[in-house]
Parts: sequence; C-alpha cells; structure tokens
Amino acid sequence: MAEIRFEEITKKFGDKVILDHINLDIEDGSFTVMIGPSGCGKTTLLRIIAGIGPQTSGKVFLDGEDISGLPPAKRNVAMVFQNYAIYPTMTVKENIEFGLKNNKVPKDERERLIGEISEIVGIHELLDRKPGTLSGGQRQRIALARAMVKKPKVFLMDEPLSNLDAKLRVSMRTELIELHNRLKTTFVYVTHDQTEAMSMGTRIILMNKGVIQQEATPSVIYQDPDNLFTAQFIGSPQMNVLPFPDEKVRYGFRPEKVHLTNEPGQYFYTRKGHIVTKEMLGSETIYQVRYEGNSVMIKSLEDSFEQDHDVYIGVKKPNILLFDEDERRIRPDDARYEQWMSKL
Amino acid sequence: MTTMTKSLSRPAGYKTPWEKARPYVYILPALIFLGLFTVYPVIDMIIRSFQKWNLVTAPTWVGIKNYDYIFKRKEFREAIVHTITYAIFVVGLGLSISTLFAVWLSKSTFMNNLTRTVMFMPHVIALISVAMVWAWIMNKNNGLLNMVLNFFGLPSLKWADSADTAMMSIIIVALWKAIGYNTMLIYAAIQNVPRELYEAADLDNANAVKKFFKITLPMISPQMFMLLITATTGSFRVFDTVRVMTHGGPGTATQVLVYYIYEQAFVLNNKVGYAFAASVVLMVMIGVLTAVYFRILSKRVHYQ
Repeated sequence: MAEIRFEEITKKFGDKVILDHINLDIEDGSFTVMIGPSGCGKTTLLRIIAGIGPQTSGKVFLDGEDISGLPPAKRNVAMVFQNYAIYPTMTVKENIEFGLKNNKVPKDERERLIGEISEIVGIHELLDRKPGTLSGGQRQRIALARAMVKKPKVFLMDEPLSNLDAKLRVSMRTELIELHNRLKTTFVYVTHDQTEAMSMGTRIILMNKGVIQQEATPSVIYQDPDNLFTAQFIGSPQMNVLPFPDEKVRYGFRPEKVHLTNEPGQYFYTRKGHIVTKEMLGSETIYQVRYEGNSVMIKSLEDSFEQDHDVYIGVKKPNILLFDEDERRIRPDDARYEQWMSKL
Repeated sequence: MTTMTKSLSRPAGYKTPWEKARPYVYILPALIFLGLFTVYPVIDMIIRSFQKWNLVTAPTWVGIKNYDYIFKRKEFREAIVHTITYAIFVVGLGLSISTLFAVWLSKSTFMNNLTRTVMFMPHVIALISVAMVWAWIMNKNNGLLNMVLNFFGLPSLKWADSADTAMMSIIIVALWKAIGYNTMLIYAAIQNVPRELYEAADLDNANAVKKFFKITLPMISPQMFMLLITATTGSFRVFDTVRVMTHGGPGTATQVLVYYIYEQAFVLNNKVGYAFAASVVLMVMIGVLTAVYFRILSKRVHYQ
C-alpha cells in the first residue's frame, strides 16, 4: 500500500516538453487510470514512477519517501509492460523467479511465492513452458504474475490489455478489478481506451500535451468536466459542442441527454432540426440532426424517428455545459453562468 | 469438370507417375548444379587422395599411402596443431572481444557509429594490400608495436621474424581483420533485443552482468552461433595471412593445414596426392567440429 506524490515533475526530450510541472497525488489503494491521447505524457509519467525514464526535474514521493533518485529495483514497484516484456529465453517459472533470485530470496520462499501467485493467476500448468508457445492472454497472466510475486507497494500497468482481442480484453478487465479488490494495492494504469478508464478506475487522471486536464472519479469526469477537452475526450459519440453566435464562448450537451419529439416540448433548450443520418445500433439509435448550420449527434432509445424528417430536440438546463473562451468550464455558481444561459 | 470426374474416379491418395515425379523435376536444375559443382568435386577430391599424381602424368592408385605418408610427417602433425591453436585464439578472442565492443558501442551515438565503421574497414580491405603496413607495424627495428612496447618499458619483439612470436603475429592480424565484422553483426543483433526487456530487468534488480548473461547473450545466441560456425570454419582454412606474412615460417612455426596443402601441391614437386589427402583430413575435421557444435550448443541457441 502506498500513496504517490509528484512535485513539479517536468520531463523534456531535447527541447520538447513532455510533462510540464506536474503536481499530483495518487491515493493509497486507489485504482488510478491515466488516460489521454497518444503523446500526452501518460506513459512517461508512469515510467517516472518506475524509475526507468527519469524526470528532467521535480520529485516523486512514495509513502512520503523521496524516491526520485532511487534505481527502479529499490522503489518497491512492479510494472506490466504493454508488450509484457517477458524474457523469451526463460521458462515461465524462470521469468517469475528472476526478480526474486536477484533479490536473494531463499529457494523455499521462492517456491512458495511462485506456487501461491501462479494459483491466483491461473498459470500453474504453464510454469515449465517457454513464452513463445503461449497465447496473448497467457503471456498477460505471466506478466501479471511476475509483477505480483514481488509483492510491490505499487502496480504500474502500461496499456496491458491493448494487445488482447476484444473478448479477452473485457474478461481481463473484470479480472484486474477483482485483483485490485483482493490485493488492495495502489494500481496505476495507463490506457488510451476510455471504456477501460471508466470501468476500471476509481480515479481518472486525464492528460493532454503534458498537462493534467482533470483528476477525479469516473462519474465526476463524465458528469462534471472541468474543461472542454475533458468533456469531449470522454464519451462516445462525443459531446456536442456549439458556439454562441458570434462569440468565443461555447455550450455543449451529451448525445444521450437530448430528447427527440415530433412536437416542440417543454425543455429549456428546444430547437427544430432535420435528421440527416440514422444508425440503428440495437438497444439505441444514433441520429445526426442538423439545425441552424449546426450538426449534432443524438443517442436515443427511441428508433421511431426517420431519416430526412424534421424533429424537435430538447435539452434540460442542468444538462447544458458552458465553456469560456479559454475552454474552461463556466459552472452554475459562476457570475457569467446565467448571463450566457439566458442567450439560449 | 474433367478434373472433377478424374479425382472422383480414383482412390484417395493415388498419384499418377507424373504427379509423383513433378516435384523432383522442379528441383532438378538445382540438383544438377549442386551435383556437378559441389558433390562431384568433393568425391573427386576423396578419390584423388588415394592416388599418386604429379599434375602431368596419369594418376596411379596407391591406397592409403598418401595418408600414411602425411601422418608420419612431423610438419603435417604440427600443421594440425598450429591450425587448431590459431582457430582457438582467433575464434575465442575474436568473438569475445567483438562482443565486448558491440556491447560497449551499442548506444547509437555519433562517436560509437564512427568507431564501428572504422573498425569494420579492415574487413573490406584486401589483406595483401595491408601486408606492407603490417610489415611496418611489426618491424622488429622501428615498428609501431615495438615503439608502443618500448614506451611502456617493455623489450622489443621480433614478431613474425621469430618462431616464438610468429603465430601470435598472425593471430593479431587475423583478429584485426575479423573483429570489426563480428562487432557489426553482434551490434545489429543487440539492437534487435527489445528495450523493455532491460527495463523489466532493471525492475527485477538485475545488474549489468546478469543482464548480459541472462538476456543479451541468450537473445543474440542465433547470431553468435552462426558467427561461431563461420569463424571456426574460416580459421581452419587460414591461408592468406600465412602466405603473405611468414610463408609458414620461421621454420615451421606458422605452418597451417591449408598452407601445407598449398606447398605439397604447388611448391614441392607437385605432390598432389598428399595435398588431396591433407584436404580430406581438413574437411573431416571441419565437418566433425561443426557437428559437435550443433550437438552441444544447438539446445542453448534460442530461436524466436
């Protein structure tokens, strides 16, 4: 169990700033997911915790201890790499055992640990195999076992599910959540997949261009974004964002918060539009509706509306989010809130 | 339609004579080529090793007399010992020094790339062309190597001119020629080892030596095995350095197998039968050694 604290972490590759003065706390025992578009610095931040890609400046603390200068092996962290980084020339058992041997763990203790962990991860019958003969899912488990056997304070995972097929990814997701519940250790998990982030994380850190956009629980990230980037990054289809006419301030609403009606309804925001496309996805239907030169996506449980027909869209007031000219959120307690809302 | 009825009308697995012969017809040109230019010369060599011949008159059958003769001669037995000595040093030192260099220069910086390129140069230069340079470097009076030795307060050596140091001189030149090439190949192999393996090893508390023996070496073992085989067979066939630098001398200090063969065939009264017999011995030695390598090492070579 451990909490991680970043103080003024900056990372540069040459002149290129990858991480810009990051200050952040990762709670003890949390399942923290770092998410963002590629190149946002999330993996770099993870590698800084591991010590395999040191920061240019700033400090990292683990349980209050400054680990900024410690070598990776002395940090009490374990990592699962994106391509697993399993040693291909060693058997499964040797892979798991390698770190223990290097740490001079006695043989019977090693045997006990390997037995225990391989039981949990379900790779008992694979111990004498070479990794080359194993499937992606099995390798994933070995990488997990290799990390778990060290009983680290922190698990670092760098897109561990991205090399698995869709079905396996979903079941591994559940297993990782269970694993976290069982171990109660701090997990730091990097992904670019918002479904993974939302479903697994107890905390989400959303990053873009080396800056943390928002750090919150999944539901806060989704319901109450701090800024336009967060609002648009999470959610599929993404949030509809429209400008106020001739202004830099914008307003947005999520596709599923729109009500479609054939007659104008009693909503704070009502417009008449024209259905351009319709995608029937089973339980829900995605409509693209055009009005006043705007095009919005609408996710509805109702599939009775037809393409090329007119329709009324309605959104309730709390479901409309405002963003100022710097793309920051204007919340209801802001003095400008009512002023802009009244323009709708 | 016709093929369909045909295939229905005959039992499964039945093949017409043409269908049976077809694969062999396809590889026939390659087989003829191999037979004519590889298998036949080797068989011819073996046959001629049992004959007495002077390149001019018709050969006569002498049984194992050629073998009997060469094995009774001290020069031949010495040549075998010298060849093995040479091979041990050139292969052993050559591969280990190259590996050290490859690891040392494995970061792709300007200086490292330049160094590797410069190290590779001896491989592209014909040895004959640099013989004069080495003759000067190893000159017993004012050569570069002796200057270096003297600078450190060590006595001069006679290098290729002394029976004690001639073999060492030849080995040095051979290493000079081979190391750049080996380093290049090993360097390329090391570049292909995924970086994450080393990062994982860092997290697993592996030190540099462990990382080398547990990760780098197993990962580059296929290339190392290939280099080991080519370097060994190459060393057993050493000729040009000996021909240029020492002519097998002083005395018989650097007499090696191929130089012995060359002398029997072309220098000493055309004793071609002895040369052929020695060639067969050389072939068998290389063959046995390669088989032993495969037997002992192939389990430790890791193919992806």
